[in-house]
Parts: sequence; structure tokens; C-alpha cells
Amino acid sequence: MPKVINYLFIILALTFACKSGESGSNAELEIPDSVLNEGIEISEEVMQDIVQNISSPVEMAALIKDLGVPYSNNYISPTDRVGDLTTSYQQALNLGIYAADLGYLNMYNKTSAVIDYLTSIKTLSDKIKVGQFFDFNTLKRLATNSKNLDSLMYISVHSFNQMDKYLHSNNRTNLSTLIVTGVWIEGLYLGTQVYKLSPNKQLAERIGEQKLTLEQLVLILEKYQKDKQYARLLEELNLIKDLYRAVVIRYEKGEPEMVEENGMLTIVQHDKSIIDISAEQLSGIVTTTEQVRNRLISL
Amino acid sequence: MKNFIFLLSIFTFGLAFALSAQDVSQLTAQCAANAGDVMYLKDFVVKLDQGTPGGAPPTARFALLLSKNVVYRFSICSAPTSSGEAVLQLFDMNTLLGSTFISATGKEFPFFDFKCQKTGVYHVFVSFKEGKAGEGVGIMSYVKKL
Repeated sequence: MPKVINYLFIILALTFACKSGESGSNAELEIPDSVLNEGIEISEEVMQDIVQNISSPVEMAALIKDLGVPYSNNYISPTDRVGDLTTSYQQALNLGIYAADLGYLNMYNKTSAVIDYLTSIKTLSDKIKVGQFFDFNTLKRLATNSKNLDSLMYISVHSFNQMDKYLHSNNRTNLSTLIVTGVWIEGLYLGTQVYKLSPNKQLAERIGEQKLTLEQLVLILEKYQKDKQYARLLEELNLIKDLYRAVVIRYEKGEPEMVEENGMLTIVQHDKSIIDISAEQLSGIVTTTEQVRNRLISL
Repeated sequence: MKNFIFLLSIFTFGLAFALSAQDVSQLTAQCAANAGDVMYLKDFVVKLDQGTPGGAPPTARFALLLSKNVVYRFSICSAPTSSGEAVLQLFDMNTLLGSTFISATGKEFPFFDFKCQKTGVYHVFVSFKEGKAGEGVGIMSYVKKL
């Protein structure tokens, strides 16, 4: 029953969020002209497909929580530097970083810290003129009660998705790419930092399979590499990509199985991906990811 | 007067759009709630026109990355005003993995779970039965790690 009430509350909140969202729909984003129409040719549709392929900001955090790893403040980026982020490049990249941190905080029900991160996200999203998708008052209200975790998680992720869709539909994929890069690097940082302290096979595999996402991210960022900031970001990601070259992802074939039990349908996949990643490769990825991520948040 | 009509048209158009966006948000929130005790990850909002007679039903396609050792839930909801009933299918390349409607048996499911064992890019297809026009939303949720 409380869940139903939570969702009724969400519906009301979204009603107002959507209406407030319209007012900013024509807002101009401050994107350097040099970024647009430069670099290699990838169609907008393909870019959207690639960006959509990048997993959600909460998936790495969900895995870590499911593995029984305790929460740590050391894994998240401090919010005291938000005021120093003055370019749309810095704001978008860090918006992604804070979104990943918010997913981690939500997952562990750290409601007091959530408000701080929500404030930072709101500030940055307003600066790049996508703040209309975050109903800050509702999110803040939900964050003050630990019983609202489901609703808080839903609205946070949904707002993020709405913002991403808006950026794509307004041909601002360059900003969306930066946000997604921020989400990805922070997720990898979180995963690798946890692995450093609590090595685990599933986490090692999850880190190894980031090779697929990284290759796609690099492909998109190359489109904007004539801009100096994007070129620098690309250099940083290529440092990690170089370490992933030796990581092998193999596949085994199998037929999917359909199981119906108590009226519920489950599909069991028998295709398998196997990630060959050595302790040495992991160690290199852990160290380089930490260095890259720390440089990115100190820009 | 012309200015007034112009402003009125903008206002009317804006209001219509706001209501539509509101309906979509409500449907998405409701569909996420119907998915059960799982964690919402993504939504696939679909609005399709009616298909041509004898032709393939219009379909919306979405790419997504799924991770190994995770159980995902795929749910589908049709808008109350939709003439067609929405069907969600999950594909790996050309292989159909799961569907909310099994045409061989005629059985329908509001959602299905997918035990993913292979990290990679998958595609969700949403269409409406018999190629009818319709509006609906699909939801992808995180259930648990395997």
C-alpha cells in the first residue's frame, strides 16, 4: 500500500514536472560552435543508439550493493567544487558524475547526502538549461524520508532519462555524450575502487565487460575531437582503452529457454559471454581509472 | 489581432503538448509501479500509426546494453486511449528472446523476466497487435543479480 501511495505521489509530481518542463524547451544551450558538425561522420540515429546502449547510472551501484559491499563516502565525488565548474563541458561531465553518485547514494538509502547531490545536479542542470526535468522540491521532499526510496529512485532515474531524451531530440547529443561519459567513468571508478578492497569474480567480469561500452564512448567522442576539451577527454579515455586491449570477451552459443511458472514468464538465456581478464590487467585498469577520474573531477 | 491569434495558437498547442506529456508520464509511472518490487531503469515510449493492409505492423525499435548475471524485467502497458494493444519483444540480433504476447498460444503477459548471461547490445521492439495504431510504454527494470 505505501508503494501505491508513493506512485500516486509520483504521478502528481510528474504532472507538475512535465508542465514546468515545457517552459524551457526552447532554451539555447551554450555549446561551442566548433563542436558541432566536426570530426568523423556518425548519424544522429546511430549516436542515439550508442548512447542508449550505455547502461543506467544505477546498475553498477546495484551490483555492488547486491554483493554485500558496505557503503563508503570515499567512492563519491565531493560537491564543494560545483561553483567552480564554469563551462558547459565541465558542467555536463560533472552532472554525469554526480548522477552516478546519486544512484549509489540512493541505493544505500543515504538520504541526508542525497539532498546535497540533488542540489549539485540541479545547479549544473540549470546551467546547461535542462534543469526543468528535475523537480527539485519533490525530490528533496522524498529524500527526507527513508521510506520513499522507491519513489526517489524512480523520479531520479526518470528525470535523468527525460533530460537525455530532450538533449537528443534537440540535437545536443554532444552534451548528452559528456553526461553519459561522466556517468560511465564514475561507475567504473566505483566498481574498480570496490574491487581494490574486495576482489570479486562478478565485479571483475563487470569491470572487464566495460570494454564494450568504452569502445562505443570513444567512437562518439571522436566526432567532437576537434574541440580541445573533447580531445583531452578522449586522450584520457584512450589511456583506459589501451589497457582494455588485452581483455578478451568470448561467446558461447545456446538456445534461450522459456519458463512459465505461476503465470509468470521467464526467459533463461543460454548464450554466454566469458570475460578473460587477468589480475594484472585489472590492477592496471584500477590504477589508471582512479588517475583519470581524479583528473577529470579536478578540472 | 493577428498577434493575439498567433499567441493563442501557441498557447493551445503548448497546452495540448503539456497534456500529452503529462499522460505519458502518468502512464510511465503507472507501468513502472505495475512491474512490481523491482528497480526502474529505462522506458520506451511509443506512438505508432496504423499499418498498411498486408504490410508488416509498424514497430518502434530501441537499442540497449544488458549485463551478464542480471535478471531484467520487461513490462508493457497500453495507453487507456490506445486502439491497439501493445506488445514488447526482446531481440538479440535476429533471435527473438522473449515477448509479452506468445502468438502460438495466444497468451499475454504484462511482463517477462530475462536472465541475462551475455553482456551485449540487445533490441526492444514495440508494436501493436494486428498493426493497429496505438500508444504505449515499455519499461525495463532491474530485478536482481544472478
